[in-house]
Amino acid sequence: MRRDREQPNEVRVTTPEEITGDVLRRYQAVGRGYWIAAAVTAALFLVGVMGLAFRLAGGTQDQAAWGYYAATFAYLLTTVQSAPLVSMGLLFTKAHLQRPISRSSLLFAFPGLLVFLLFIPLLPLIPPTKGRNSLWFEWPVGAPHVFDTLALGFLVLSGLVYLWMASWPDLLTVRTHGRGWRPRLAGFLAPHWQGTQGQWRVLKKALVFLGALYFVALVFTNSILSSDLSMSLVPGWQSAIYPPYHVLTALQGGVAATIVAMGIWRWTGFRSYLLFDHFWALGKLLLTLSLLGIYFWWSEFIVYWYGRTPREQMVLQLVMVGPYLPVFLSAFFFSFLVPLLSLIWNRVRQSILGPFLVACSVLLGLYLDRIRLYVTAFAAAQVSEHPIEQVPAAHLPDGADIMMMVGLPAGAILLYLVASRLVPGISIWELKESLLLRKARRFVQGYAVTLGKPE
Amino acid sequence: MQDRRKLTDSKINEDLLRSVDHTPRAFWIVAGFLTLWIGGGLFALGNMLFWGLGVTGLNRPVMWAFFVTNFVFWVGISHAGVMISSILRLTHAEWRRPVTRAAEVLTVFALSTAALMPIIHAGRPWRVIYWALPYDFNRGVWPSIRSPLIWDPAAIATYLTGAALFIYTTMLPDLAVLRDRAWGKRPLRFWLYAILSLGWRGSSRQWKLQALAGILLSAVILPVFVSVHSIVSWDFAVALVPAWHATIFAPYFVLGAIHSGVSAVVTLMALMRRFFHLEDYITPDHFDALGRLLIAVALGWFYFFFIDFIFGLYSRESAEVAVMELRLFKAPYNILFIIFIFTAFLIPVPLWFMRRVRRSVLLMFITTILVNIGMWLERFIIIVPGLQYKQPLDFTWGEYSVSITELAIVSSTFAVVSLGILLFSKLFPLVPLSDQKEGQRLQDEIEIGKRSVPAVIREE
Repeated sequence: MRRDREQPNEVRVTTPEEITGDVLRRYQAVGRGYWIAAAVTAALFLVGVMGLAFRLAGGTQDQAAWGYYAATFAYLLTTVQSAPLVSMGLLFTKAHLQRPISRSSLLFAFPGLLVFLLFIPLLPLIPPTKGRNSLWFEWPVGAPHVFDTLALGFLVLSGLVYLWMASWPDLLTVRTHGRGWRPRLAGFLAPHWQGTQGQWRVLKKALVFLGALYFVALVFTNSILSSDLSMSLVPGWQSAIYPPYHVLTALQGGVAATIVAMGIWRWTGFRSYLLFDHFWALGKLLLTLSLLGIYFWWSEFIVYWYGRTPREQMVLQLVMVGPYLPVFLSAFFFSFLVPLLSLIWNRVRQSILGPFLVACSVLLGLYLDRIRLYVTAFAAAQVSEHPIEQVPAAHLPDGADIMMMVGLPAGAILLYLVASRLVPGISIWELKESLLLRKARRFVQGYAVTLGKPE
Repeated sequence: MQDRRKLTDSKINEDLLRSVDHTPRAFWIVAGFLTLWIGGGLFALGNMLFWGLGVTGLNRPVMWAFFVTNFVFWVGISHAGVMISSILRLTHAEWRRPVTRAAEVLTVFALSTAALMPIIHAGRPWRVIYWALPYDFNRGVWPSIRSPLIWDPAAIATYLTGAALFIYTTMLPDLAVLRDRAWGKRPLRFWLYAILSLGWRGSSRQWKLQALAGILLSAVILPVFVSVHSIVSWDFAVALVPAWHATIFAPYFVLGAIHSGVSAVVTLMALMRRFFHLEDYITPDHFDALGRLLIAVALGWFYFFFIDFIFGLYSRESAEVAVMELRLFKAPYNILFIIFIFTAFLIPVPLWFMRRVRRSVLLMFITTILVNIGMWLERFIIIVPGLQYKQPLDFTWGEYSVSITELAIVSSTFAVVSLGILLFSKLFPLVPLSDQKEGQRLQDEIEIGKRSVPAVIREE
């Protein structure tokens, strides 16, 4: 994995006109690879929907049978739904780096629609809060069902609104320079946008506000859903760090999903924009989040290990060292150890392929992690009202589970592909802005870059 | 950073070394006052050592109280240095430049003071040696390394070493400036600075190595930074005391430490600006940036606090609920709890959302003082009610109330840290000269139409 020296850190296209022309050309040229990917993911999605239909036909009485479905839902929540935050976070920090990455991560807001739809079949599986431990303490009315739905709905909606608003300037570009049906679509999606000074001012403020709102919604939604769909189902499982752990792994999954998307964008035409620097920077972020993941896991483990009450030993048996030990070890290896042991090396971190492969590993590891947390919880749910005394045997996936586990993430990818045809995959306006705010210049005996930092 | 001032190297030297070169009368007054204050604390400590821990308010079952609270508080304050220096350095935050040194110095003095507290708390300080260190090799008597109380000295010693190295490495160019200025005028100081500056000549190789050391130390010290307060939190969390035994304690403590530490740095910056006349260096922009950082940290901390609180009640176990009732409904804990939540979060954070407040030195000074009042109380409320809860089948039961001895000793630790920083400022600059000069060289502007946008030069 060699540092990609042949790629200059400056974008090759150096004028606003070139950027507009180049990005629009690539956006409008739909290649055969795109159609093949769309067809494959559509077929797999169909398989996933069939799997879900089989599961629904079996009813919701057997809670354990829904464990893998819940894990798949949680996996998509912690990867697809948190990926847009990468763009928003970088916007907060005014990082110039964010500009070419922005759209790759924001497009994940569109598959959020699927995440919301997948939540609906889980609603009947969440027992009422009466007589059991719950974050809602038998209060308020409608909890957890109504509030979980509202929180997730708000999160998905705010992501979509953010994507829509952040695309307005590019939609104007498509409206004026695009070909075929796209200008009509762009006109429909952003008929009002003229790019006046007032509109820009409002847009910039709105993006910051919406980004902050999205972050809060993401933390809140992950906190309550992780508790309602796994921890609170298991009597005796009472770990305060579990909701923050879920949030943290969601951030990790979001960064990993963004890196993978960037890699695919780069290798399918946007080589001039998604450069070595972007992979390097997100690789460092992924390493940091993976280290924090280990730290959060350890914080839980050591307290339980030292506590050694029967309740704590049972929880450790259930989610770590019992029947699911192989799943736990694999999840830990792929989502934490692989990033740590590979990204600490400059040669891996300072490359494009290195962070990409590590991100793939993290995505796999997180899926396994969700399986260990959700399948176990659904299998142990309501064993009794008292802390469990016996850890249930490992629940293996059946045919319908496997169909859903493959097909539903494919559905998310399909929606991402659809979204990439609605707006350009690279944010044209942000790149043009970076041309204004970034100048190369001589400095002492070498070259440096001057970065504008407007308020 | 919109509020930029062009400053020459000689002006920077003159301004930032004013505290080293001149000793106004106010310095002696403040130093004398602090010394007296410390003297009072030492007297109380001597009294406690003579009569024993009976002169404190410690009473079964509450045997950890004021001293341990103060220990956690000062370890928390010490998290400012690395947060500011290391993380902001790694993220290339330009506004860090005038803030770093003061934050690092605060770290060292706060941590040293924190390390004193468990020794004082032991009542018979000399015994700490064989509690924490192996002392009898022949008989194979070793401290229990399974105890977090043994991890504490290791973590604190590592952090203190790292933080001291951090200050020293980043101060080398400034020491060379001090050495050159002292040549022929102050022989004693010249030799001190000459030895400390390790032959710094400012060659390009030396600069390269110094920059590399700064980055390496920044990266290496981060895990230590996280581990220190995590280990402090495990002093409590691994015990089966109600309200202590929580999995969230480690990150919750670390975030609380950053919240109070960064607030303390803002307080210190306001004082330095006022008393060392550093208006050209510590500008409202810096307070604005630190205010934004504080908003993020405070919100993160509050999330962890809230989750910890909710999960205390989650299981509805009688012991946990009883401790919560103690905290919320029983005097004096309920009054302290209200003061804590208002001062640590409800008053300052909404104010920081206002740009005018963030840019007001006075208001930032006041709000950050409030935060640290609240954060001190937070530690007290975590520690004492958990122990005060009456366990079944225990028959010796007393209430804890703070004694004058504890108050005197704990209050004097504030004087120790203040005096330490004041004396440091007499020998070394509290704002790094080299960082300021580098910042001046890296300032630039970009013309966009008729507008000029502040910019910064970065190496490609």
